[in-house]
Amino acid sequence: MSEATDGNMLTEVRKVASDLQTALERFSIDSKLVDLAQHQVPDARHRLAHVLRLTSEAAHRTMDLVEQCCPLADRTAREAERLIELHKAAGQEQCSAPMAEFLQHTAENMGAVRGNLAEVLLAQGYQDLSGQIIRSVMTLVDELELALRELLRITQAEEPRPASAAPRRDRMGPVVPGIVNGSAVSGQQDVDALLSDLGM
Amino acid sequence: MGVQQNMNFLVVDDFSTMRRIIKNLLNDLGYANVTEADDGNTALPLLKNGNFDFLITDWNMPGMPGLELLKQVRADKRLARMPVLMLTAEAKREQIVEAAQAGVNGYVIKPFTAATLKEKIDKILATQSASAA
Repeated sequence: MSEATDGNMLTEVRKVASDLQTALERFSIDSKLVDLAQHQVPDARHRLAHVLRLTSEAAHRTMDLVEQCCPLADRTAREAERLIELHKAAGQEQCSAPMAEFLQHTAENMGAVRGNLAEVLLAQGYQDLSGQIIRSVMTLVDELELALRELLRITQAEEPRPASAAPRRDRMGPVVPGIVNGSAVSGQQDVDALLSDLGM
Repeated sequence: MGVQQNMNFLVVDDFSTMRRIIKNLLNDLGYANVTEADDGNTALPLLKNGNFDFLITDWNMPGMPGLELLKQVRADKRLARMPVLMLTAEAKREQIVEAAQAGVNGYVIKPFTAATLKEKIDKILATQSASAA
């Protein structure tokens, strides 16, 4: 290659590098980007982690209750069947028609209840499937945060104007521990106390 | 059939809710001995030092994924013939083929029904006792 061509190419490369530098500087001074990297993206990760915890607790709580109900249903069904047998053995006259019907229905219904409880248990599988999706989004958010921070570091961002605080939004959604929630109250008692102060 | 109810199951999944569901289903089928592990990494030493008869494992786990656990089990002289059922949301054709080539005995896709789990376990046990006979 000729020296002239080398010289032209070098000038071009310098120009491109300079344009890129300017573009990046303009990019990073935008306070929104700093806010994203320092507050919103880490917040997003906390929120997703909280969702995982919430769904796990709810699913386990549901399964606790199902596991308590199953033996109750089983026992009721068994006792109903036992009474039906006893009455059969003793002869029809010993047991009134409504009572016989009740026992029969009880045995059948408890079977249905037991079946439904098993389905409720299986349905808690949603927590695993949704949790796997949430985890993959959290990985994405982590990578996004790293990329943003790296971008800001490269462009050596100055403190943006105006100085950024936690994002102010009118509707924050459910309280997530660890995320600044401004003026959120901390429970039903606080709500009642507040309304009471307002005269309600 | 009575002998089989004493079988020792190891259930491996990184979600405690899923482990609990599978444990309950196994109990309902009459299998009372169910141990849990939350990853291939915690499962492997349990398998090597324990006396398990059946492995049910997820695929997608952060430490050691289920496929790797399966390969480690098949590579271990003492564990090589253990029945392994993969129970996972991973549903790509290539993955199922990969698991089959690595020596999995059954593959169940989430979400699943109690009936499917029973069917696959029964099928694996039937095949095992047929080949042992």
